Amino acid sequence: MLKNSPTLPVARAAVLDQILRSQTRVWRGYGTAAVPSVATGLVALDRLLPGCGWPVGALTEILPVCEGIGELRLLIPALQRIACDQARPVVLIRPPYIPYAPAWARAGLPLHRLVWLQPSTDAEAQWAAEQILRAGIAGAVLLWSTTTADMALRRMQLSAEEGHALCFVFRGPRALRNASPAAVRLALHPATDALRIDVVKARGGHGGSVLCPLRCAA
Amino acid sequence: MLYLCMSFPQLSLDARQPPADEPVAVTDRRGARRWLIGCNSACFSAGVRPGMDATTALALLPSVRLIERSRPREGDALKSLAAWAEQFSSWTCYDAERHLVWLEVYSGLRYFGGVEVVRSRVEHGLAQLGYEACCGVAPTLEAAAVLARIHDAPTIEGSTDLVEALAPLPMAALALQEDVSDAFAGLGLRTIGQVLALPRDSMARRFDPDLVDYLDRLTGRRRDPRKPFRAPAKYRRTFELLGNVETTEGLLFPLRRILGELQGYLIGRDTAVQELHLELVHDGAEPTRLQVRSSRPLRDGLRLFALVRERLERTTLPQPVEAITVTVDVFVPLGDTQLELIEGGQRKDRDWEDLLDTLRARMGDIAVRKLGLQDQHLPEQAWCTVEGKERQPDGTLPDRPLWLLEPRQVTLLPQRMGMPERIESGWWDGEDQQRDYFTAESRDGAKLWLYRDGATGGWFLHGLWA
Repeated sequence: MLKNSPTLPVARAAVLDQILRSQTRVWRGYGTAAVPSVATGLVALDRLLPGCGWPVGALTEILPVCEGIGELRLLIPALQRIACDQARPVVLIRPPYIPYAPAWARAGLPLHRLVWLQPSTDAEAQWAAEQILRAGIAGAVLLWSTTTADMALRRMQLSAEEGHALCFVFRGPRALRNASPAAVRLALHPATDALRIDVVKARGGHGGSVLCPLRCAA
Repeated sequence: MLYLCMSFPQLSLDARQPPADEPVAVTDRRGARRWLIGCNSACFSAGVRPGMDATTALALLPSVRLIERSRPREGDALKSLAAWAEQFSSWTCYDAERHLVWLEVYSGLRYFGGVEVVRSRVEHGLAQLGYEACCGVAPTLEAAAVLARIHDAPTIEGSTDLVEALAPLPMAALALQEDVSDAFAGLGLRTIGQVLALPRDSMARRFDPDLVDYLDRLTGRRRDPRKPFRAPAKYRRTFELLGNVETTEGLLFPLRRILGELQGYLIGRDTAVQELHLELVHDGAEPTRLQVRSSRPLRDGLRLFALVRERLERTTLPQPVEAITVTVDVFVPLGDTQLELIEGGQRKDRDWEDLLDTLRARMGDIAVRKLGLQDQHLPEQAWCTVEGKERQPDGTLPDRPLWLLEPRQVTLLPQRMGMPERIESGWWDGEDQQRDYFTAESRDGAKLWLYRDGATGGWFLHGLWA
């Protein structure tokens, strides 16, 4: 109907704009939705994400094409802010390798705020993640999951909403083939001294691709 | 002195914790006669009542489950109740025959804020433990017991008007031998006042001398010789289940009571626990032994119950369970962690530790880890898992990858980058290690942390610069 009325008075357009602005749930295609977030430390990436940062209380899916390309270093600035500035715990659930304490400490994460959970099954890892998110104390949960079940991710998304925490799920690149309930999905590819981040999905943000420069190791 | 007496009219039934939905009755027997002494609500609704003959009950309600009375278990239940009641008083005692537990309340009146407060807290606590009970408060043990047998009896606080207050109460509330009470009824005595009005000398001659002694203790003329109960220094409570329980959920009901009793015991001794042991006895298999731990001292029964429940959820029972034993060997001071005075931040820390305990109980201690540093040269020894808080790193830390791997030998050597870092260790204790660490990039683009072993010349992957 709006389309068919080219002579919409300016005053009415302003009123409509005002109404739309007051509705944070309506995404208008430009800018990013005003949702609570934690800055990623990378301005170019922030611009693409809802709320200009990692969304708080929503699921972020990280899909690196292979392990060891900088997928953790990408999160370190936000995790450091949570552990130091907000003094909230950061939980790693079922990581594929040993979180190497000296490296995490050097990256600025206080070790006493870091908890490493290694349950024996994927189902228990899911359960633990939900418990932690629901309790609302931890500031960030990083879960490595092999699940392909949509329902599991949906439950995580719901728990994340309750917990007001960052919630990252790491999955293999194959998961890209299927849709996901996550608010943000990032596919990660290696690049020369950098990490290429493809924003596959960003609810209330923008699609796009960013190069994240990585400090060359050693 | 002022005593509170709890009487348990349904103890023979309550001590066994029968399920509420199926009719269960406890029977006693003398010779060939077997009659009901306790019935649960499912029995009552079918018209089956205590005092009924076992055969009559079965005729009325064929599905009723009749269980033989067990005096040892009734004794266990009373002992646990006396230990539980120590949270209200340092002086408790019980009578196993008459199913009574007393506690001295006068010394705690100021602390609790009045006798009615103590009374309502006791009644509330007993209801939570799942016991049907009736309370009486009076200056002597026996007078309190009389009041506990009368529903909605008044509290008698002063000892001067004790006889006067007892006088209008029914004679049936007295703890008399059956033949004595029959004789009194034959004499036309209806109230306690009429019994007390009988001449003492002739009463001793005509009836039992113990009767006079009893009435003297009732009115306070003679001191009651009962000794206070002392709960044992180590906590051990065994509960035999009614029939075998095949699922862990079936254990939760009795455990809730046991841990509620434990809470009273802990408050009474002003102490707390960090570790308790659970033994599940099976028929024809080794008992299942479980350990439940918490990171901070606990005395809250519900919190302990939550931990035990999580622990049970990851337990598979090899056989049905016949009995549960809960033991506590080590007690720790509670500290100030559970007082309600603590601030928001501290409360958050406490809630966080509680959550981790829940996770530990469910997934095992080993699944919940905190990281720490060690002063070691070899990378795999420079970290450790710690309990509690870890010191902050003092010096500057070397640049290391975020993921550490178990060293695995690589044959196809990728492109190396940068200068090697030499790490040597162990030449002083015979475990000589010399390694040159390199960063390399795999064909997929992953940044690897590799080393060449000085002794063998072999290449190993040891970390990922994730």
